[in-house]
Amino acid sequence: MSLSVRSCSSLASHLRSQWRTVAQNAVHMVRGSRRNWRAPLPIVAMLVLILPAALAACGGSGGASSGSDTLVFGAPVSLTGSLSHEGTDTLNGYQLWAEQVNAAGGIKVGDKTYKVKIKYYDDASSAQKSAQLTKQLITSDKVNFMLGPYGSAATLTDEVIAQQYQIPMVEGNGAAQAIFKKNNPYIFGVLSPSPEYAGAMIKAALALPNPPKTIAIINANDSFSTEVADAAKTLAASSGMDVVYSQSYPANATDLSGVLTQIKTSASGGAPDMIVGSGHEGEALTTLKQAKQLGIDPKLWAFTVGPALPDFATTLGGDANFVIGSSQWTPQVKYQGEDLFGTAAKYEQLYKAKYNAEPSYQAAESTACGLAFQSALQKAGSTDPQKVRDALKGLDITTFFGPIKFSASGENDTKPMVTIQIQSGQVVTVYPSNVANATFQYPTPPFGQR
Amino acid sequence: MAQYVVDWILLGCFYAAIGLGFSLIWGIMNIVNLAQGSLVILGAYVAYWSYTLLHLNPFLGILVAMVVVFCIGYAIQYVIINRVIRAPILVTFMLTFGLDLLISNVLQAVFTGGYRAINTPYSGAAVNVLGAHIPLLNVAVAAIAVALTALLSLFLSRTRLGNAILAVGMDREASQLMGIGIANTYALTFGIGAALAGAAGGMLAMTLQFSPIFTGQYTLFAFVIVALGGLGTPWAALAGGMIFAFAEVFGPLLPGVGFGLDTAIAFAVLVLVLILRPNGLLGKPFYS
Repeated sequence: MSLSVRSCSSLASHLRSQWRTVAQNAVHMVRGSRRNWRAPLPIVAMLVLILPAALAACGGSGGASSGSDTLVFGAPVSLTGSLSHEGTDTLNGYQLWAEQVNAAGGIKVGDKTYKVKIKYYDDASSAQKSAQLTKQLITSDKVNFMLGPYGSAATLTDEVIAQQYQIPMVEGNGAAQAIFKKNNPYIFGVLSPSPEYAGAMIKAALALPNPPKTIAIINANDSFSTEVADAAKTLAASSGMDVVYSQSYPANATDLSGVLTQIKTSASGGAPDMIVGSGHEGEALTTLKQAKQLGIDPKLWAFTVGPALPDFATTLGGDANFVIGSSQWTPQVKYQGEDLFGTAAKYEQLYKAKYNAEPSYQAAESTACGLAFQSALQKAGSTDPQKVRDALKGLDITTFFGPIKFSASGENDTKPMVTIQIQSGQVVTVYPSNVANATFQYPTPPFGQR
Repeated sequence: MAQYVVDWILLGCFYAAIGLGFSLIWGIMNIVNLAQGSLVILGAYVAYWSYTLLHLNPFLGILVAMVVVFCIGYAIQYVIINRVIRAPILVTFMLTFGLDLLISNVLQAVFTGGYRAINTPYSGAAVNVLGAHIPLLNVAVAAIAVALTALLSLFLSRTRLGNAILAVGMDREASQLMGIGIANTYALTFGIGAALAGAAGGMLAMTLQFSPIFTGQYTLFAFVIVALGGLGTPWAALAGGMIFAFAEVFGPLLPGVGFGLDTAIAFAVLVLVLILRPNGLLGKPFYS
């Protein structure tokens, strides 16, 4: 009997993921319909059925040309499933851009002015579905250009489709370097590439008056976290830090006491000066909780993912203070942009007015994708995908989000990331110093005294 | 090395708490309760709210979690599962699976998928023995887990109610003929199993952090722990927790293995135990 139970268990976990997707889709449809639909459903359905027929009967030569002064940008985004939180921010960023462009009159391309529209679908946090939707957006919805999905995994699958149909895609939510190693001339990323995730924090630490000398680096064993950790090891070693310990652990691990016990004994003085975690929020929380239990007190804690998220500080309480993290953008950065928004402060204000929430960096980088397209369209003076792609290649602008200038592979590798720190439960920007709004607090006092 | 031994014992006792209720429900009623992880997280929420809203001592919060989750468990069995208790195991399997989806998604919808934790003022307290750093909070949690195991064992063997539960587990028809109310006894069994899951949730909230996303993971842990230890006695869950933690803590220390494989090692041990002792380490055949 125990055998059959075990095989059922794997079947069950498979079913569970499918059921969850279906259930969440249903919930989203119900919620979405309440919010967006004003007209009764049957009437709308009738209109949808009748309108195309009526238009065709009018004898217009090009059925699709009715929207010729609107540029449509396609976007598969995660509105349900495990990435729904980040995916919603992504869509918010895209839509804020579109709204502001249209409020300003549209985009002037050559001697014609175009309004913009975001056409999006929910990919349910699945990279495969995201690729299908990309294909659908390009082939049946005939979008002019593509905006990226949320996350490296979906970006990797979607960029292939964009290349296949020769439609440029600008993305702001896939940082893995693998995205840009495919020799794909149609993909552009506005965000800082993955080495910056840990690199920004190591550079911030090295700029301190009495910088940490020894460092331990731990990472989840998924490809992005590993890529970040490898870059961190190289940077730390070449900057003269002593990498005393490095170790990967299974992604989503609920116990890290073994790894932490090894860290404790890796440096002669009890714990290394700096511990870097490259993984996910849950693992960062487990690391800090168990480090407290095991009495591990480095001078600096650094996590690539976690500190920027609102529940990080509330979950840990005082123990979150002094922890640093990296961020693509914060509302404190001080770029003087030539774009619609101009400054981060202005962006924050407009975002808050529309969504009644603080803008996350996921929202800001998504808005920046739109800005890149906008500049490229103006520069190209044409809506031809090839000409816009060439204009993107030569783009060199500064926006509220930071500089946008793509390398030959499509990465925005001149944009630095910022280092944030939790101080008295609040996230503040501490590095680079020209955008910081608080002083870097260092060294970290032991647990219980923060 | 002493530190690893400490890590192992503390983790093992916590795992035992996760497996304890699952073992009782499976052993007595032949229900593989796939909602166990959800009940753990539910218990964690109760403990969390009783700490943050009612400002109760977190250890008292464990007791509150046990009482609340007991009532929920009792109701689930009495109102829902009792209707299909005579059906083949696959039916209860699917039913508890559905309950798990329901509970974890309701928790996600109401409380979001974000993390929460209880931060006690004494969570950093520790003593150093033989070069090992021993966190007192985790020692207290481990002691509660062992105490719960002992109490369950005493309850089953020494009380009328416990004997009734065991009797129903051995032979439903015969115990019915002896005048034991089946529906009530089953509901009580599931309630106690749920209460133990609630206790584990309270411990989880105190020592780590929790989120409704992780219900499936704790169900899986419970399953492995019980399969390792075997059914038939609460002490088997403790043994299962200890073996699982042993594999997780000491496996990666073997030369050339490393931490990426610690869960794989734990499952390899499960396969080995099932080959060598199909009823688990301390399992007795009478339950099934």
